[in-house]
Amino acid sequence: MSITLGIFVVILLITLGITYWAAKRTATTSDFYAADSQLTASQNGFALAGDWCSAAAFLGFTGLTALYGMDGAFYALGPLVAFCTVLFLIAEPMRNTGKYTLGDIIRSRMQTRTSLLAAIAGTVVVNFAYLMPQMAGAGVLVRLLTGISYDWAVIFVGVSMIVYVAFGGMLATTWVQIVKAVLMLSAGAIILVMILAQVHFNPLTLFADAEQKYTAKYLLPVNYLKNPFDQISLGLGYVLGLAGLPHVMTRFYTVPDARTARRSVVWVMFLAGAFFAGTTLFGLAAANLVGQDVIRAADRGGNLTLPLLAQYLGGGKGTFGGDLMLGFVAAVAVATILAVVSALTLSTSGAIAHDFYANWVKRGQVDGKREVWIARIAAVVIGLLAIALGILAQGVNVAVLVILAICVAASANFPVLILSLFWRRFNTGGVVGGMAVGLISSVVLAMIGPAMRGADALWPLVNPTVVSLPLGFLGAYLGTLLAGRDPENERRFDAFLLQVHTGVVPK
Amino acid sequence: MRNGTSLEAAHASVRQLIAEKLKFLVPMTIIFMVGYIGLTVLAGFAKDLMAVKVIGSVNLGFVLIALNYVLSWVLAIVYGRVAGNIFDPLAAKAAAEIKAGH
Repeated sequence: MSITLGIFVVILLITLGITYWAAKRTATTSDFYAADSQLTASQNGFALAGDWCSAAAFLGFTGLTALYGMDGAFYALGPLVAFCTVLFLIAEPMRNTGKYTLGDIIRSRMQTRTSLLAAIAGTVVVNFAYLMPQMAGAGVLVRLLTGISYDWAVIFVGVSMIVYVAFGGMLATTWVQIVKAVLMLSAGAIILVMILAQVHFNPLTLFADAEQKYTAKYLLPVNYLKNPFDQISLGLGYVLGLAGLPHVMTRFYTVPDARTARRSVVWVMFLAGAFFAGTTLFGLAAANLVGQDVIRAADRGGNLTLPLLAQYLGGGKGTFGGDLMLGFVAAVAVATILAVVSALTLSTSGAIAHDFYANWVKRGQVDGKREVWIARIAAVVIGLLAIALGILAQGVNVAVLVILAICVAASANFPVLILSLFWRRFNTGGVVGGMAVGLISSVVLAMIGPAMRGADALWPLVNPTVVSLPLGFLGAYLGTLLAGRDPENERRFDAFLLQVHTGVVPK
Repeated sequence: MRNGTSLEAAHASVRQLIAEKLKFLVPMTIIFMVGYIGLTVLAGFAKDLMAVKVIGSVNLGFVLIALNYVLSWVLAIVYGRVAGNIFDPLAAKAAAEIKAGH
């Protein structure tokens, strides 16, 4: 405990130092939302890795693999493949078309107030659905790792993220993410080397030992996700949902041009991808070395697998090496949560201050200094709301919200985004139709599924993406047809295409 | 008059750029979608096939997962190359034409 706290205090001091440094450099809207678009490809690549790997990735994938074998490896693969979609279709057009938010793209394509409201709704719903389980997870995790109470843990995480975002904006958020990514990758590399040393640098031994200990069934799919369609939903949710997550996509505004945006995706694919691949080996090693019984006894969901494995590799419980490794991994886990919740808070404050206040209420006629003020206040309010929701969520099953966030991102935000960029006839009716149908079908299907209602589920899938995603596209299509042709919007599409593909706005 | 012509040239360049992008991005997108979604379908519906041992205790499922990692990384590098060599020059040309059209 004391080593964990010690390491964590050091990380906290570093992040506060970063925030102090960043606050002095954050004055304009461009500073606050986009770190003045001055990051390099490698910086943004590390920050993307810090942003995208939530605690669910850092702790969850290892735990799932340890307890359920191959299904854990599936969970880890999806978030890498997701970046193919982002790289090929989204990152560069996004950098070329928008300024600070997802709403910017919809607004510059449609130039209607209604479509902007729909984009704001998509951003706020996805961000809060993502933020709430992160806060609840932070409460549980920090309590388990440090011994402080759930409520205080949530308050501590919430206040930290408010400080980072309100004072340091995107610059502080970015560097908190970079620090976290470096720590996470270092922890992963150390653990990997220690595991490989145990099996004489032959990873095949990990599989053979696992098979011997838990039978061949352990290395097969469908141990965790029993319904085949849930497997497919998971896959679709990942590959198309990432592109609809505003808190990750706004990272592309922090680089100067499309080429840097592209190169930062390649960076994150190698950095995060290597870590994801590592979690599969960590999980197998944990099952072999620590044992599923011990893992389950510590946390039924397997979320403490990686800390336990680190402790074992360091020399075991009670040894200095064991405590040190446990403390390090535990501190990185907390840093992971801080990096993700900060990005969510920042992106939501952008939707409120930039999309809603500056562009919807004030129709773009607002002083930059004032907008930054509003964004800072919004960050504080969002943070306080997140703390309250996190405390209320104690003991409530918030797993459904994690699914919901990625499901809404894939089913509502993604269709609207991709059709805005690539379909000439797409119009405001389509934006509203896609957003509404994608959002409502995701929420309703998730609520009546087994994640919420257990055995009383009205339909079989935990993750409804396989149905709600086509429905979202259908909503967007029908909305477009129902709204009728909009010749002005279709004519403007040529000029929009110039901007999408070159980044230059034709006058 | 000259300005209008330049903007028209920009539109033509962007149309050419989009055609080039489609030529590469459509097959690349199909490859990774089929590779990954196909894998989830196999995991759900062809458990026995996934259980076939390939190297030691490592079954086909894990091999396909590993191949998906490699495929994603290879596609990322290929895309980076293609974009740098083919898309960027066309985009730069169009951008210059738009600016001349102002």
